[in-house]
Amino acid sequence: MLKAQASIFPKILLLDRKIDDKLIDGKIVYTIVYDKSDYSTARHVGEFIDASNKGHFDKYMYKINLVEFSDLSSSTHASVIYALNSDRDIKKVADFAREKGIIAFSYDVKNLKAGLLFSLVLEKSTVLYMNKENLYIQKIDFVDSLLRIVKFIDKDNS
Amino acid sequence: MNYNILYNSKLIRIILPLLTCLTGLIAQTDNLIESISGEMEHFNKVATATKQNEHYQPYIISVFQGNELEKLGISNLKEALLLVPGVDMATDNSNIQTPIFRGSNPLAYGQSKLFIDGISVNNLFLEAYSEYLSFPIEMIKRIEVVRGPGSKIDGFNAYAGSINVITYAEDFKGFESDDKLVFKYGSYDYKMGGFFKTYKTDDLKIFVDFFYQEDDKKLPSGPDGLSQGALSLLPVFDNRALSQTGDAPLWLKEYSLGTNVEYKDFSLKARMLEHTQGSAYGINLALPQESDRVKLPSYYLDLGYAKKIGDYEVNINAGIKYDAFDSYSKLAPDGLNFGVIFQDGIYGEHFAAQQTLYQSSYLKYSAIDKHLITAGYRLIKEETIDMTSKLSNRATGDVELVDYTDTLPFFDKDAKRNTFIFSLQDEYQFRDNISFIYGFNYEQTSYKDSGFEPRVSMVYQRDAENIFKTMYSRSHRNASWQEMFTMNNRARVGSTDLNPEIVDAFEVAYIKKFSADTYLQTNIFYLLNKDQIYNSSVNPEYRNAVDTDIYGFELEYKGNISSVDELYLNYSYVDGKSYTQDEDRSESIPNVAHHLAKGYYLYNLNSDLSLSTVVKYVGAKDRVFGDTREKVKAYSTVDSSLYYKDSKYNYCATLSIKNIFNTNVTYPSPPNTYIQDYAQEGRTFLVTLKKEF
Repeated sequence: MLKAQASIFPKILLLDRKIDDKLIDGKIVYTIVYDKSDYSTARHVGEFIDASNKGHFDKYMYKINLVEFSDLSSSTHASVIYALNSDRDIKKVADFAREKGIIAFSYDVKNLKAGLLFSLVLEKSTVLYMNKENLYIQKIDFVDSLLRIVKFIDKDNS
Repeated sequence: MNYNILYNSKLIRIILPLLTCLTGLIAQTDNLIESISGEMEHFNKVATATKQNEHYQPYIISVFQGNELEKLGISNLKEALLLVPGVDMATDNSNIQTPIFRGSNPLAYGQSKLFIDGISVNNLFLEAYSEYLSFPIEMIKRIEVVRGPGSKIDGFNAYAGSINVITYAEDFKGFESDDKLVFKYGSYDYKMGGFFKTYKTDDLKIFVDFFYQEDDKKLPSGPDGLSQGALSLLPVFDNRALSQTGDAPLWLKEYSLGTNVEYKDFSLKARMLEHTQGSAYGINLALPQESDRVKLPSYYLDLGYAKKIGDYEVNINAGIKYDAFDSYSKLAPDGLNFGVIFQDGIYGEHFAAQQTLYQSSYLKYSAIDKHLITAGYRLIKEETIDMTSKLSNRATGDVELVDYTDTLPFFDKDAKRNTFIFSLQDEYQFRDNISFIYGFNYEQTSYKDSGFEPRVSMVYQRDAENIFKTMYSRSHRNASWQEMFTMNNRARVGSTDLNPEIVDAFEVAYIKKFSADTYLQTNIFYLLNKDQIYNSSVNPEYRNAVDTDIYGFELEYKGNISSVDELYLNYSYVDGKSYTQDEDRSESIPNVAHHLAKGYYLYNLNSDLSLSTVVKYVGAKDRVFGDTREKVKAYSTVDSSLYYKDSKYNYCATLSIKNIFNTNVTYPSPPNTYIQDYAQEGRTFLVTLKKEF
């Protein structure tokens, strides 16, 4: 699942019409937040993205930024954020993403209810879930065709 | 006019680049969406093939990843299967071990099927796969265990369950495995070394695995079966005083070479497993000598062709398999009196080699909206190709072996069976959240036929967290070679008039997914077994004599207590009644643990180091009718492992202590054999070193 997410999420962020507004020093900063025990998982995800994309998401240069949940703060650099599992820090990631107006991907679909935007889930087939409530954040503007392949989820029902 | 032309050309010069840019953007967006959809489709295929979407499949399945089991100190396939809900282990006097699924007929071997990379490897002689239970876990990428006959597909009959072992030959784009080198050392001077390697070009992939392992295990056993009258003909010949107590030779010497080759649409899968083990408790229930042995070689070669053309997908396979039962052993102690006195005991050499040829063709058709139809056939030709039967001289008592292959064979050397199986199945996606699978197998053999066997299942996904399944299926087990063709044996008499054992299985399951990695799987089952094959010391001829109704439930939880640990727990309950037709009696299902509970807890001390505990509880087992011994006692075992992974140099080390409290673990023996049952090993240790490239 991690590989599927690491492969598909970078393509989704390119469908944001306002991606140029989120570049930091001309690069997409792909921030992976992880629990201390998940450091090697986070590193492997980063390595997989590097191996698959060779430094560029389409025409954009990118940088992988590994950040522990406990170190995430308003000064953390992120054009997009991907949250691995955590018992208690997901709300912090959701607030961070909302404040910065960036896309927040989640390893676990249950975290969309806490305010993250996307997750990719293996059900009978692969399903891309999106949190309906965060769809209309002003700083994110997805092309319509993306919305046709996602399944919506909101806080009240799954 | 000229102005207009000029105006128009200016307009075109402005609009055209914009249009081009816009068209480019749309094309780029379309490409991205197409790329995302294509990748999702690829991950669908991988997930389905690797059973990552197991909870949505129409059967009761548990999936274990080899690398996770390695962290728990699990050493081989047998130890892994003992973690599965509802699965226990049984053994016999030759230490032919067999997993028991949901209490289904512990006396028969072929109740479950084992597949290695999709190839059925149950041997023909016993219909067992004991020789593969020592398959090292480091050579296994994944184990998929289906309880019940629900996995019946492409003409294979899984009666009580099926085990799919996937080696690292499996390969998907983006999911390649590293090559591996492994060494292990443990109790009983256990030594193992092995590796696997993959070589790939654009069209060609070659995978090779090899391992060698041996130990010198022997366990205190006895008194042996002579104490109960085996090898006596009371009151004429009484050899009970010759009974021995001592060490049963349970040693192992084994190597295996496997290869998978893929070239475009063609594949070749081959394996040569040379398995030799100590003669254990003696094929005639007399404690054998330390060097006495049973060889159980298993070879297979499968050629395949798979092609997808539009809405059609064709899979054509043909193959050959070879297995043998090859025993050389001292069968009776010095001084045995059978009218003739065998001063130096009786020795025996029994060899039967079997060959299986098969060919199958299956076609999948997906042009009908929401339907995937699979139809095809499988042809199987099984036969004994060689047989030898040698014993010490029965007339003179001289110890030298005499060839009785023609005069007193232990087995029918002309044994053969032809089988034809036709199967048809439709997977119907009724709605996004409801799917059905229905179909049937039809089988004819050159002996008794199982005939038409239907199957219906439904999977309902209420939402992302709640999944319901319901299944009905009928399946069968054909009589094994031993049950059909054994001759000149006082304990076992084969019969070719045996009907297949039939099971009708009703199963309902509910899965609650708490998160991506946390779930609770529950199921209840009711199994109606008819015509189970049975023999006893009173009537040694195999016959369809037992009907057994079995019911029970299974709970399986996987999740975490904190973010740095893993917790896995399962509990299964089984009960039922066996009715023996020709003796007109019912009894609670014998030799079956009504309660089984297993689990592990793994704590990651940091990202490189973890500590784990595996706990197993096996409940008490009733004896068979007429066996006055106390129940087989319940037992619990605790194993612990420390696992270290060096990420920089890519090697791992594991230290495991198994059965820490040295609990007595025994598998039940039949009545009038080894009265103290078959003791299993106590506390052991294992060290594993693994390097990935």
